[in-house]
Amino acid sequence: MNLSLLSHELLVLALGLGLLLVDLWLPVPAKRKLGYVAAAGVGLILLYSLFCVQLPASSPVQYAFGQMYALDGLALFFKRFFLLAALIVLLMSVEFADRIASGIAEFYALMLFALSGMLFASSANDFALLFVSLELITVTFYVLTSFQRARVTSLEAGVKYLIIGALSTAFTVYGIALVYGISHTLNFGLLSGVAAQYGDNKIFLFGLALVLVGLGFKIAAFPFQIWAPDVYQGAPTPVTAFLAIGSKAAGFALLLRVLFIAVPDITARWSNLLIIISGVSILYGNLCAIPQRNLKRLLGYSSIAHAGYLLLGVAALSAAGRSAVLYYLSGYLFTVLSAFTVICLALRGVEGEDVGGLAGLHRRSPLLAATMTLAMASLAGIPPLAGFFGKFLLLKAVVEQGPTHPGYYCLTFTALAGVVISLYYYFGVVRAMYWPGEAADLSPIVVSKPIRLTLYGCIGGMLYLGLFPNGLLEAANQAVKLLR
Amino acid sequence: MTVGLEHYLVVSALLFCLGLLGVIVRRNLLVIYMSLELMLNAANLALVAFSRFTNNLDGQVFVFFTITVAAAEVSVGLALIVALYRKRQTAHVEDLTTLKL
Repeated sequence: MNLSLLSHELLVLALGLGLLLVDLWLPVPAKRKLGYVAAAGVGLILLYSLFCVQLPASSPVQYAFGQMYALDGLALFFKRFFLLAALIVLLMSVEFADRIASGIAEFYALMLFALSGMLFASSANDFALLFVSLELITVTFYVLTSFQRARVTSLEAGVKYLIIGALSTAFTVYGIALVYGISHTLNFGLLSGVAAQYGDNKIFLFGLALVLVGLGFKIAAFPFQIWAPDVYQGAPTPVTAFLAIGSKAAGFALLLRVLFIAVPDITARWSNLLIIISGVSILYGNLCAIPQRNLKRLLGYSSIAHAGYLLLGVAALSAAGRSAVLYYLSGYLFTVLSAFTVICLALRGVEGEDVGGLAGLHRRSPLLAATMTLAMASLAGIPPLAGFFGKFLLLKAVVEQGPTHPGYYCLTFTALAGVVISLYYYFGVVRAMYWPGEAADLSPIVVSKPIRLTLYGCIGGMLYLGLFPNGLLEAANQAVKLLR
Repeated sequence: MTVGLEHYLVVSALLFCLGLLGVIVRRNLLVIYMSLELMLNAANLALVAFSRFTNNLDGQVFVFFTITVAAAEVSVGLALIVALYRKRQTAHVEDLTTLKL
């Protein structure tokens, strides 16, 4: 077996374990800086992945562990995506470190372990690896969510995530048991060969639906979204950011693999189900976000809506739709991470992260205010930002499928209605920054150099993906080529 | 009477439903957590039964993974519930009301 296929995962694990070891010899004040070491390590692994890892043209898919682990274009795309997300989140965590009472080195190490779970998830080619990587992500997030043990909200968010997460795990395992019992295999490659003949087997379909429940929980799609607002609100801000982008993208990586590699013949008959879940998620997320005052909770509801937008591409059941999902996720990465970085810095002393705490931000720090404005505009889908072009690609893929099924036209209208509703609350945030009712705390905010660079990078990413989409779109098209 | 695959599956389905009922009906976090474990073990029983009756060992190996992961999940979960109990002096779901609109 070729261990070099697992180089990303092994390097990240070694980095995490190394951090835990170094922590033993470091004096307490220096521990905070370990975050920079972790971020630099992840950055190096990202560079290594971009410049040294290539798939040979002769064999576009390479397997390890008896075909449990697959390294293909889709896996590589998602691995680079997760590494970039973790890099930004780690830099954000260093800013947040003074609000964590103890165990900051473990905080960074757990983030790296969650990252390794995401890297494994992007390569899962077997239900066993799917389950283990899913749990590696979820169990580390239970700890990360409740890391501020002195705050009741953080603990409560952790316990809620734990109960609902464990419930979805139980559903997933039972579903896997039923699928295995009927098809006698756990491997996606073998399953794709036999799945068509079980298309009418009720037990097989029920098992598959239970597996989708577990994945729906990860991506926070309706009706498995119940945890998202509470956990987003209670968790420490960098953890919320990592949940919003890393955990969601891992769910989508697994969803694409299960639906389009393991059981493509059955997925083709599930367009109704996917259309309904997507449409209801969009409406639910956007409507519930309107009355929210807590900024993190608002973004929690908005993330439900975005799970719905991303499902548009899955529901389209076409190659264009799947590459649009990857494109939208990339734009979402820059957008959501810049929004949470601003929350992390600007709402430092504000009780309950109220939207009103942003008042006068343009005078306290013009950079933060500008970043937040761009992030909200991109989330809402205003041209020329990444969010606009991503939504355009998703809707285009859905409309193209319109002639085959009238439901696709209804879905397009639902999504457009969702976008219009979302303008209201996203621009409520912008209004709170620039037109406050009364004069608030106007002390300037110090933005450290690494965060400044991160913010410039995120702004650049949002504008680049909105203005010059060709490069990434080509990469996304290549990545989804092997999906059926 | 010989015990066949369907007997195991019925027991497993019953255990799963009992666990789910416990999660929905009970109000104490620890009891809810026990019910969740019951659901996981119902799935394990189904996997082992399928594996035994189809002469395919993949299912039994998968059960090792679920047991290990469930142990990790329980240790984290109980630690969390204890931490919450220390803070709030309660383990009832009705009292988890800090996070609301």
